[in-house]
Amino acid sequence: MGSDGLIKRFSYPIVANDFTIAGKSSSEIKSNIKAIGIDARIIRKIAIISYEAEMNIVIHSLGGFIHCDLYEDKIVIVSEDIGPGIPDIEMAMTEGFSTATENVRELGFGAGMGLPNMKKYSDDFEIESNKSGTIIKITILI
Amino acid sequence: MNFSIMFDKEKCKGCTNCMKRCPTQAIRLKDEKACIDVKLCIHCGECVKICPYEAYSTSAVESHKEKYYKFKIAIPSTTIYGQFPKGTEICKVQNAILKLGFDYVYDESWSSELVSKAIKKRIEENKNIRPLISTNCPSTVRLIKIRYPSLMDHLISIESPMEIAAKMAKMRAKELFNLEDEDIGIFYISPCPAKLLAVTDPVGKKISLINWVIPLNTIYGDLYREVKKENEICYSNPSLKGIRWAVSGGQSEASDLINYIAVNGMENIINIFDEIENGRLYDVEFVEAMACVDGCVGGTFNIENPFIARNTLKYIKHKTNEDLLLNEDLDKFEEFYHDGIFDLIISQDSDKGHKINIKEAVFKIEKIEEILAKLPGLDCGSCGAPTCASHAEDIFNNESELYDCVVLRAKRNENK
Repeated sequence: MGSDGLIKRFSYPIVANDFTIAGKSSSEIKSNIKAIGIDARIIRKIAIISYEAEMNIVIHSLGGFIHCDLYEDKIVIVSEDIGPGIPDIEMAMTEGFSTATENVRELGFGAGMGLPNMKKYSDDFEIESNKSGTIIKITILI
Repeated sequence: MNFSIMFDKEKCKGCTNCMKRCPTQAIRLKDEKACIDVKLCIHCGECVKICPYEAYSTSAVESHKEKYYKFKIAIPSTTIYGQFPKGTEICKVQNAILKLGFDYVYDESWSSELVSKAIKKRIEENKNIRPLISTNCPSTVRLIKIRYPSLMDHLISIESPMEIAAKMAKMRAKELFNLEDEDIGIFYISPCPAKLLAVTDPVGKKISLINWVIPLNTIYGDLYREVKKENEICYSNPSLKGIRWAVSGGQSEASDLINYIAVNGMENIINIFDEIENGRLYDVEFVEAMACVDGCVGGTFNIENPFIARNTLKYIKHKTNEDLLLNEDLDKFEEFYHDGIFDLIISQDSDKGHKINIKEAVFKIEKIEEILAKLPGLDCGSCGAPTCASHAEDIFNNESELYDCVVLRAKRNENK
C-alpha cells in the first residue's frame, strides 16, 4: 500500500442512498477498534467520525468506500466517493449548513453537522473535492 | 453475599437458550452444561428468565432474620406496589414489612422522587454532555463498563434511589433513635439480582450503604398474608411520583423531562448505546435504559407479570389522594442537593499508560477472521459458543477446537 508504517487497512464499500444498511460499516469499524483494545476516548472519536463519513457517502454521493488505516501511533479514516463533490467546502464546514434533501431530513439525517463534527474530533483533517468526487482523510492520534 | 444466581447442573440439558440470549456472550457450554464467565456477567437475569428447565434459580442462602443488627431498616423497591391484586390497601404494605421483623421502613419511592428532582437539576447544570444516562439500572451500568467504556462519562453523576433511600433512612434513624452507624442494618427488598451487584461492585469510588439484599419473591408470601389481614391500621403511602420509577419512562416523567429516551430490554439498549456512541443523540437530554422488559417491573424477583404490574401501578396513582402524602425530606431537597448528598463520583477505569501493541492485536484479529472463514456461519450454538464469531475467538484463545463445530465434523465424517 505504500504508506509508511501502515499495519492494516480495513475497507468497506458504501452503497449510496440505502438507509437500511447505513451505519453498518461504521459499526464494524467500531467493533474492530474495540477488539484491538484502543482507549475508550479514541473509540468514541472514531465512532463519530466514521459514522458521519459513512452517512455523507450514503446521502450525498453515488457510492464509495470507507477505509480504516491502523498505524502504531495513529488511526486514519479515509472516505472516498464518486459523486458531485462539494461545491463550496468552506460553506460545508459551517455547523448547520446542509444540502440534504427534505426526504433525507425527514429520516432524521442531514442536520449539517457531518463535516464540522468530523473535523472537531480529529487531530488532522484533509479534504479534497472536485466534480467527480470527494476524498477526506481524518487522522486521530492514539 | 446473601444470595446469587444459583445454577443446577443436573437440571441443565445444554439446550443453548441461555447462551444465545446472554447480552454479553458470557455463557459457553462445557461438557454439555452451561458455564458463566463471571467477569462478563452483568446480572441482568435473562438466563434465569429464559431457561425452560429452571436450571437457574435465585435462592437466599441465609434469611434476613438470621442477620443480627440492633436496628433493621427495610427499603422496599418501587415495584413492590405493583405486586398485589388491584384494590389491595397498599397503605398497609409498609406496616406489613415491619411485621416481618424490621424496625423501620424507608420507601424507595420517596428517594426516587428526590432523585428525580436532582436529575432535573443536574441536566440543567451540565449541558456539556448529551445525552446523560441514568445510573439506576445496575445491569445497564455494568454493560457500559464492559461493552461501552466510551460512554462512562455520559452516566449522570447522581446516585440511584436505592442508595439515597439508604442515606436518608440512616440519617433519620440515627436522629430519631439515637443510634450509631454500626447498630444499623439496611436491607433492600429487590426486584432483580442486579441490585446485589450495585451493592458488591458499585460504580464509582464508594461503598454501598446497603448491608443486605432480599429477593422480593422470597418474602412475598409472608408479606401478602400480612397485607391481607383485617383491621390493620393504615401506616403509610408511597410517593406517587416515585412509584413511576418502577416502569420504563417513569423516571424521566417524574423528573419532568420532555426530551428523553426510555429504552428497555437488552437488545434495544444495545441499539441505543450504539447510536449514542456514533454521536447521533447529542440533542437528547436524558436516556433511561432498563435491562428488563418494561423496566423494573420486569425484574426476575417480581411476582406479577410486568404489564399487569404496570396497570396496577397506574390504578394506584389514580386512586390515591396525593394531597395526603408528605415526606419531610422533600422540603429539604435544596439543602441536600447543595450538600452533595446526591452526588455520585464515577471513576473511569483508566487504561492510560497501558500501551497496546497494534501489530499483535491486528495479528489476532486476522487469525480470528481466518478461522471464522472456515466456519459455516450458522450461529447454531451447537459447538458451545453463541456465534461462529465467538467460537472463532475461543479457538484462537485455545479454549475450544475447530471440530467442536458439528457442521464441520459432519462434513469431515462424510469425506472419510
